[in-house]
Amino acid sequence: MMGAKHRGFLLVFLGPAFVLYGLVVALPAVRALLYSLQKWNGFGDAEFVGLANFVSLFEEGSLFWAALRNNAILALAGGSGILILSLLFASLIHRRVRGAAVFRVSFFFPNVLASVAVALLWTLLYSTTEFGPINALLASVQGALGIEFIQTPVTFLHTSTLTWALVPMLIWTATGFYMVLFLAAMENIPETYYEAAELEGASSWQQFRNITLPLIREVLVVGVIFLAITSLKIFDPIWVMESGQPQRESHVLATLVYQQAFSEFAIGQGAAVAVVLFVLVFGISLAALRMSRREAIEY
Amino acid sequence: MATVWRWIRSAAVYGILISWLAAVIVPLLWVCANSLRSSREIVENPFGIPWLIAGAPESAGDVDPWESARANYEAAWVESGFSAYFVNSILATGVSLAGILAVGVMAAYALARYDFRGNRLLFLFFISGMMVPPQLVIVPMFFQFATWSEWGSYVLAPFCVIFTLHDSLTGLILLYIALSLPFTILVLTGFLRSLPRELHEAAIIDGCGEYRAFWLVMLPLAKPGLVTAAIFNFIGLWNEYLFALVFITSEAKKTLPLGLAGVSIQAQYRTDFGLMFAGFVIVLVPTLLVYLMLQRRLTRGITVGALKG
Repeated sequence: MMGAKHRGFLLVFLGPAFVLYGLVVALPAVRALLYSLQKWNGFGDAEFVGLANFVSLFEEGSLFWAALRNNAILALAGGSGILILSLLFASLIHRRVRGAAVFRVSFFFPNVLASVAVALLWTLLYSTTEFGPINALLASVQGALGIEFIQTPVTFLHTSTLTWALVPMLIWTATGFYMVLFLAAMENIPETYYEAAELEGASSWQQFRNITLPLIREVLVVGVIFLAITSLKIFDPIWVMESGQPQRESHVLATLVYQQAFSEFAIGQGAAVAVVLFVLVFGISLAALRMSRREAIEY
Repeated sequence: MATVWRWIRSAAVYGILISWLAAVIVPLLWVCANSLRSSREIVENPFGIPWLIAGAPESAGDVDPWESARANYEAAWVESGFSAYFVNSILATGVSLAGILAVGVMAAYALARYDFRGNRLLFLFFISGMMVPPQLVIVPMFFQFATWSEWGSYVLAPFCVIFTLHDSLTGLILLYIALSLPFTILVLTGFLRSLPRELHEAAIIDGCGEYRAFWLVMLPLAKPGLVTAAIFNFIGLWNEYLFALVFITSEAKKTLPLGLAGVSIQAQYRTDFGLMFAGFVIVLVPTLLVYLMLQRRLTRGITVGALKG
């Protein structure tokens, strides 16, 4: 119908996007799949090895499992912290407070800050030098109580504890984003529901539990999916805090891809990790689409 | 009794919110304050009001707080090359944005306005890119760039031009444009579909060609959609680290996040912390200014995206 008449026009308009996206995103994604079935050091001849790269990934005690475990810690500990706090703040602001705009704008801000800058900020906050505020705070609290729970300065960012040290940073960064998301959903709930509940003598918690939560359920699901995907893709802070050399205890999937492909020149191994990462993200996104039947914008 | 209870409750509400406000803002203020301190002051007075503002104590002797604040920023801006990083970031982000919007809006327009065969499939093809993690693309692209650079150099050899996409902002921009297309096309297609069809038809009837109808009628109407797409892409690209890390190697071509990461990694082995704090502020300030100008649009964009879609 319309198509044939406008062939030239369509070609001009769709051509650039198709070529760019095809050559820089779609084709490489397929090539990564092929790489994952090969043994290649990036220079010599590639050797087809079938699923061997994946088999060695899934071996017991492999780096892959260690990295995936860290992704899971970040998703569960960080994610639940973010969810609880963002729901709390959203519901507090939702029930009318003065200065709501100030809270909203400030809480959201860390989310637009470069992840590298956030990583640097928290490196400084956790610093073991004289000026490290978290250690100073810990020392003064212990001094005031007269008990020493833990010897300061604590090396929070040591490789063995890095993953856990990232949890507060993630919460600090992302809570505002999810708060804004949930707050918008809450603002769509008719005020009369709360008025009726108030008349019936429902407590704030009951109102939250029985009105707010069920009515923002779909956005909540979107939020959980976002959280799962972003914790799978996390790379920047670990790379910066480990000075580009994460160890077994601090790796996540994304850093493992980088290290295997670009530091150890095990292109096939790195690609295999990337493929697993893709499958996980893809699986979660599909599940999300199924559940919410909406197009979710991620950024 | 009821009023007392109410008072306690509202105190708790504000207590919680103000605590988090402090948790967000105080660390940022602390970094700004430390960027004004000399290395010596950071040790002697790490948490107080900077000497620059409060005045140095007698015990500090003969110090010039202005001089140390200036030295920090000079060390970051000149010696550590933040001025160059800044220019590179503006270039990479600006050119990418222009490219993304131009290529994206044309594709989105064709997808939103013309029922050709395979339209739906093509749309899905573009959108599926949003599920592709960058790690999947980055390894093959590293080798792909080498091949393309060879071809480019071969073609340009007669003109004595060495063409390379590695360690070049051109290469980075190419990646940024392509990788931003899925999201941009999704946003713009959704927006363009919501515009009334009649306007386009009227333009055609009035004798506009398809190109003129797009340029004169549809594009001006698409402006709010373009602004939303621009804001989100701007934030993502201005802060982008992974691709810059893999593809940019020389100091002179680093972008701000890459430069800041370099400074922060070095800083673990040296003692001029003032430089690091100043570098952080140099990254923080433009982000803050842009954010304050655009935050309304930004937060609205997110909520519209997640709620409507």
